[in-house]
Amino acid sequence: MSVTSGPASRRLYWPAQMQRNRGVRGLFVVVALFVALYAYLFPGLLTVGGVSKFAQSWFPLALVSMSQALLMLTGGISLSIGATVSLGAVIAATTMTGPLGVVGGLAVVMIAGLAIGAITGVIVVRLRLPAIVVTLAASFIIGGAALLILPRPGGAIPTWFSDLLAGNTPAALILLIVTALLWKVYLATPLGLSLYAAGENPVGAYRGGVPVDIARIAAYAISGLLAVGAGLFVAAQTGSGDPVIGTAFTLNSIAAAVLGGVGFLGGRGTMRGAIAGSLLLSVMINVMFFLGFPPVAQYVAQGLIIIGAVALPEITGRRGPR
Amino acid sequence: MPAPIIEARGVSKSFFGNPVLRDVSIALAPGRIHALLGENGAGKSTLINLLSGALVPDSGTIEIDGKPHASLTPAEARRAGVAVVQQELSLTSQLSIAENIGLGAYPRRLGLIDYGTLAERARAVCDMVGLDEDLARPVGDLPLGRRQMVEIAKALFRNPRVLILDEPTSSLSAHEVETLTALLDKLREAGTAILYISHRLNEVMRLCEYVTVLKDGVVTADQSLAGTDADGLVRLMVGRDPGDLFPPWTPTPETETIVSVAGFSSGPLSDIDLEIRRGEVLGIGGLVGQGQEDLLLGLYGALPASARSASFGGVSGVPSSVPKANALGLAYVPADRKREGLHLIHTIAWNMMLPQFGRARGLSLRNRSQERALARDLADHLGIKGDLTRQVQALSGGNQQKVALAKWMPSDPSILLLNDPTRGVDVETKREIYILLRRFASEGKAVVLSSSDTPELVHLCDRVAVMREGRIAAMLARDEISEEAIVASAMGAEAARAAA
Repeated sequence: MSVTSGPASRRLYWPAQMQRNRGVRGLFVVVALFVALYAYLFPGLLTVGGVSKFAQSWFPLALVSMSQALLMLTGGISLSIGATVSLGAVIAATTMTGPLGVVGGLAVVMIAGLAIGAITGVIVVRLRLPAIVVTLAASFIIGGAALLILPRPGGAIPTWFSDLLAGNTPAALILLIVTALLWKVYLATPLGLSLYAAGENPVGAYRGGVPVDIARIAAYAISGLLAVGAGLFVAAQTGSGDPVIGTAFTLNSIAAAVLGGVGFLGGRGTMRGAIAGSLLLSVMINVMFFLGFPPVAQYVAQGLIIIGAVALPEITGRRGPR
Repeated sequence: MPAPIIEARGVSKSFFGNPVLRDVSIALAPGRIHALLGENGAGKSTLINLLSGALVPDSGTIEIDGKPHASLTPAEARRAGVAVVQQELSLTSQLSIAENIGLGAYPRRLGLIDYGTLAERARAVCDMVGLDEDLARPVGDLPLGRRQMVEIAKALFRNPRVLILDEPTSSLSAHEVETLTALLDKLREAGTAILYISHRLNEVMRLCEYVTVLKDGVVTADQSLAGTDADGLVRLMVGRDPGDLFPPWTPTPETETIVSVAGFSSGPLSDIDLEIRRGEVLGIGGLVGQGQEDLLLGLYGALPASARSASFGGVSGVPSSVPKANALGLAYVPADRKREGLHLIHTIAWNMMLPQFGRARGLSLRNRSQERALARDLADHLGIKGDLTRQVQALSGGNQQKVALAKWMPSDPSILLLNDPTRGVDVETKREIYILLRRFASEGKAVVLSSSDTPELVHLCDRVAVMREGRIAAMLARDEISEEAIVASAMGAEAARAAA
C-alpha cells in the first residue's frame, strides 16, 4: 500500500496524521480518564468478555456517529439516521430467515443503505436543497417504509448469526476496527480526501479541479451504509426487528459527533474524533449508572457535558488561527 | 511576438442585463508578464473567470493554441495548462500544506494518493516559492501571507503554461513579494504566459512588459508598458463623462465642526484624525476594503472603537453602541441593504417605521394610523410610489435604497453615514439620491459618503478622504479633488513614482 511505502511518504503521511490529531488530543485524554474510571468502578471490564460486551453496547452508536460525522464534514447533517437504522434492522429481520439466507439478507441491507444514502445525496447536492430539510423528509419516508415492512416488532435473525455478532465474541470490536481502517483507506484516496475541501470551501475546491458533487454524494451513500450496518447489528443483538428501534440514534449521533469536535459548517473535524465522542457518550452512561445516577439526571448531565465540550474550545481557543 | 497560448476575442458578458464586459480582447503570449489594470468593478475578475472557464461568455470566443472554445469548462482550461491564483483563497484549513497543493491533481498509485510522490513534488514547488514550512502542517495554522504562497505553489504544482494571478501580493510581506518577483521572472524565462493583476502600480511597472487596461468593461489600452509611467496608467483607468448625472450644487463655506476624532482606531484602522463639518458632504474613497466600512461603523458605535480624543456634537467620547450613536444624531445606511439595511420580507411601511420602534417607551401601543400617515409622508417625500404594504423585496434596488434612507428621516439625524449608497442602483435613482444628499447638507447637517464610485466623490463632495491600508492616505480639499488625484492616492502612485 502506497501510504506506507518509501521514506518520503513516511515524512508526509504520518506527520500529517499526527498534526491533524492535535484538535482531538484533549478529547482522547478525557475519554481515557472516563474509561479508567469505568474500569475502576467495574473491574470486570478488563476481561475479554467484559471488553466484548462493552464493545457491543458501543458499536451501533460508533457506526451512526461515523455516519453523521461524514455528512457534517460535507457541510450537511442527517436527521434520517435513526429511521435508516430501523429500516436496516427490519430488512435484516425479515430477509435473513427467508429464502435469501444470511448472505442474501446482508446484501439486501447493504444495497438498501447505499441506495437510500445515494438518493438523499443526489437530492441534496444536485437540487441544492438544505440537507436538514431533505433528511427530515427522508426520516418520515424511511421510517414509514420500516413500519410497512414490519408493522410491529417481529421477524427473526438466525441464532448462529446473532451469537456470532452479539454473543460472547469480540466480533463488534473487530468490526469497529475494520471499519475505522477502511475509512483510513478511503481518506487516502483522492475522492476521500477531497471531502474536506468540498465541505469547507466548495467553490474553491471546484475551481481547483475537485469533483465536489461526486465527493459529497459518495459521502451520503457511505453514510447510509454505516447507518443500516448499525441497524443490522441492533437486530442481531435483539434477535428480531423493531421498526422504531433506531429513533434515538439520530440525536445521539449528532451529540457524539459534536463531542468529537466535528463542526457544523463542513470540513472541520475528524472521524477518530467522532468515534472517540461516541465512546465518551457510551462510557459516560455506564459510569453514571455505576455511580447510581437516576436515569433522568443522566440526561441532564449528558446535555451539560455536550455544551461544555463545545464551549470549551471557544473559550480557550480564541487565540491563534484555527 | 510568439503566438499567444490563450486569447479572448471580442468577449462580452452581462449579469442580470447589466453589461460587465463589452467586446473585450486580450492575448497572453508565452514568456511575457502581462498586467491587467482597472478600477474596482471594471470587469477584471469576470475576465479571469472567462479565461479559466469558470464563466462562459455571452458572445465572443476563447481560443487556446489557436483553437476556439465557445464554452470553455474549468476542466478543459486546466487540461490546457491554465492555472489561476484567486484573490479569495481556495485552501482547506484542516488539510496539510502538501495535501492542499496537490488537491484536485493528486499523484495516484493503486487508486490511493501516492504520498511519496506528492511529498517530493510539493517540496519542489514549495522551494520555488520559498515556503520552508513542514509540508505536513495544516494550512489553517499558517498566517495569511504564507497561505497565499501555498495558493501560488498549488498553481505551480500543475506545471501551468498560463498562470493568472489575481492580486497575489495583497497579503504578502515585502520579503515574500521579493521571492514572488524573482519566481515570476524565472517562469517568464521558462516560457510561461503570466497575467498579473495588482493595484500596486510600482509592482506592475517593475514586473510587467505589457498592459491591458479595463474601464467599465471596455478595453481602453492594450499596449507595451515601455515608455509609460504611473501617471499615464492612472489616466488610462479613469475619466468618464459625468453627463448630467450629478445635480449642480454650491460648495458650503467653512462651517463649524460637528464631529472631530483624533487618534481614532477601530478594527484594522489606526490613528485616524478626522473632522466632519456641518453642511458638507465628506467623501471617503480608496480601493475596496481599505478600512472605509470600519471607519463608518466605528463612528456609528457598531464596532469597538477608541480615540485619543473625540467629540460628537459637543459630547466627548466615541459612542459605544448604536442606540447611543442614534441619540447623538448619527444614522447609518449600510452597503449591503439586503442583509443589513432592510428586512426584505416585511412591508415597506414596517421597514420605514423600524427605527421608531426602538424609541417607543416601554409597552406603549403602536399608533397605527399615525404610523401610516408618517410612512405615506416619507414615501411621497422620497418619491416611492405605490402600495406601502407590499414587501420591500418587491421594489427595485434603487427604491429599496430609498426605503433604507427614508427610515432614518423621522428621527432627523444631524450626521448621516452612508456606505456605498448607489451600488447596484439605477441612474435615475442615483440622481435622486444625490439631490437628497446635497439637500441634506444644505440644511446644515453633515453627510459622510463612502463610495467605490470615484466620479461620485469628485462631483458630490466638499472634501474627500482617501483611505489606504487602514489610514487616511490623503485629504483632498474641494479644489484638489479629481479622479486622477483620488486613484493616484488610493494606489499609492506617489510611492510608485518614488520607486521608479
